[in-house]
Amino acid sequence: MTMEDKLYIISVYSENQVGLLTSISSIFTRRNINIESLTVFPSEFPKIHHFTFRIFTTPESAAQVVRLIEKKVEVVKAFWFECNEVNASEHDIVNQFLINRN
Amino acid sequence: MTGAEILIESLLAEGVDTVFGYPGGQIISVYDKLYNYEDRLKHVLVRHEQGAVHAAQGYARATSRPGVVIVTSGPGATNVITGVADAMVDSTPIIVIAGQVGNAALGTDAFQETDLVGMTCPIDKWTFQIRKPEDVAPAVAKAFHIASTGRPGPVVLDFTRDAQNGVAEFKYNKCDYIRTYSPCPEPDEELIDQAVEMINRAEKPFVVFGQGVLLSHAEQQLLEFLRKGGIPAASTMLGLSALPSDFPYYVGMAGMHGSIAANMMTQECDLLIAVGMRFDDRVVGKASEYARNAKVIHIDIDATEIGKIIPADIGILGDAGTVLEKITEKMQFSFHDEWAVKAREYDKVENTEICLPETAPVEGPIHMGEVVAKVAAVSNNEAIVVTDVGQNQLMSARYSRFSKTRSFISSGGLGTMGFGLPAAIGAKMGQPDREVCAFLGDGGLQMTIQELGTIMQEHVAVKIVVLNNNWLGNVRQWQELFYKERYSQTRMLNPDYSLIAQAYGIKYRLVEDRAELDEAVKEMIEAKEPYILNVHVEEAGMVYPMIPGGKCVDEILIRKDEWFDNGR
Ligand SMILES: Cc1ncc(C[n+]2csc(CCOP(=O)(O)OP(=O)(O)O)c2C)c(N)n1
Ligand SMILES: [Mg+2]
Repeated sequence: MTMEDKLYIISVYSENQVGLLTSISSIFTRRNINIESLTVFPSEFPKIHHFTFRIFTTPESAAQVVRLIEKKVEVVKAFWFECNEVNASEHDIVNQFLINRN
Repeated sequence: MTGAEILIESLLAEGVDTVFGYPGGQIISVYDKLYNYEDRLKHVLVRHEQGAVHAAQGYARATSRPGVVIVTSGPGATNVITGVADAMVDSTPIIVIAGQVGNAALGTDAFQETDLVGMTCPIDKWTFQIRKPEDVAPAVAKAFHIASTGRPGPVVLDFTRDAQNGVAEFKYNKCDYIRTYSPCPEPDEELIDQAVEMINRAEKPFVVFGQGVLLSHAEQQLLEFLRKGGIPAASTMLGLSALPSDFPYYVGMAGMHGSIAANMMTQECDLLIAVGMRFDDRVVGKASEYARNAKVIHIDIDATEIGKIIPADIGILGDAGTVLEKITEKMQFSFHDEWAVKAREYDKVENTEICLPETAPVEGPIHMGEVVAKVAAVSNNEAIVVTDVGQNQLMSARYSRFSKTRSFISSGGLGTMGFGLPAAIGAKMGQPDREVCAFLGDGGLQMTIQELGTIMQEHVAVKIVVLNNNWLGNVRQWQELFYKERYSQTRMLNPDYSLIAQAYGIKYRLVEDRAELDEAVKEMIEAKEPYILNVHVEEAGMVYPMIPGGKCVDEILIRKDEWFDNGR
């Protein structure tokens, strides 16, 4: 952790898949990012899981981590934002994605 | 049908003709069924599972079709890990099918159970555990789609015993759509327009292209783009052979042991256009100084590569061929002759100082470059060149000449010693009508030397050139240059390869004398069967030019204590 690091939330919508949590968390561990907290719960969309990770990092690294997570085949969408922000558009973006690609 | 049969039928439905593998307890049902398909599906029995993966990689790189591997659980599965990691970083489509214990035994530390899913999912493109026979066909279909589209890569199917032995109906639907996976993004027209404008305005544009060009089959599009724009271009190591070596705008390989022209022009250009490459540190050197005078356009199919190492002024996501075609159509004809001929000036220095002494020395021991250049000449620049890792690889990359695409197969990103021999087997099985010539170091050969048994059994007519220096030469080079000539554990003795060749029944010739080299190479290339040419080369040979790790790409050593001086 450096001085510029801040707390970010990485929010991931994904289809359920054995091993996905391992591969997502290895994206953090490879970059020496500690996961401060982690939650997994069913999302508002059927059969889609919602993972959230709280991590200390830089905006550049948060953005890159999100791109790497989105590269995983089962991941629908991933987002990053500062811990005290609320991301209101998330739901709409995922919803639109699922409507477009069904 | 049983799941095991469904697997084989699914492979056939995908057009697979060859698989590389090794049987064992948890995959025995699949092998039992394979017995019925011997006339339709060729199984190549390797001598170690690592050999199977590298062979599949060689097959895939030579043919552009996914390579298929079948192994057992536990040690069979862990033996393929190196190849999976290698295929991931080098974007090679392979499908690994590994046996797994029965569903009820999962997680019990049963005999030969290992967590293959946990081990491979951080290092592959997709992993899936098949637990039910009805999931076999859909999983194989997805595996082929994922492995071969977008940025290709390895896929691992962990195939439990229950799924192999259980019965289901066979119905095969090819997969071309997964809703959470968009492999081939349509390029953004606005960014194309911006790129066109930037290219039209550039005075010293420069292209560095990588394997993406080969993977997208964009060789022709690249050629036309360079012609219309009058733009000089360098290749990464894995991009080699995408352009013919004699293409007028081609300036050689970029990076640590690349050409002086490629590296100097990277620093002098005012616009760098990166196509299907990922700015590996062996290409970039000190990233903060790389292409310091240039704006950067980065074209890649993988969003995570754009801006990862070198910030892009314009990053275009898409298939290299599609993007290049669109740009070429819109951009103006240009000439940058004064700029482009700079390469020939640098080449003059490189030729007299480095290439000629390496490829045409008049006295002393044989040089590696000399052997590589000779093989290129005798094979009419038409062979598929496969390499191992080390000086043998760098010399092969530097001194091979290519007239055909998909002619250079080497472990780039992972730098896996032991890759060369099995990869050459796979390449030859995929392209039996092409000459396949492997250049191996004595160290790397001994890492997978057991695959000579595969060559013997399958009569794979690969030509094997051992660039034998009795050293782990590449490490020795670093020790000489940067570790005060303290040669810690790099002196390596060799067995008598004539006896090894004899044991495997493979034609063999030893060359120690320059006078014999020409004839020996001809004999090897003319041979219709496998052939080992063991060449004793200079022990203390060095690969130059060299940009030491972390230096800017215009800080080029041309000899031990001599930097390239642009002033002369
Ligand atoms: C599996 C593996 N282990 C170690 C290395 C580190 N390494 C890179 S080059 C090299 C020396 C290779 O020696 P040799 O095969 O004789 O080739 P040469 O450089 O002499 O041509 C070594 C040990 C590696 N790349 N891969
Ligand atoms: Mg050696």
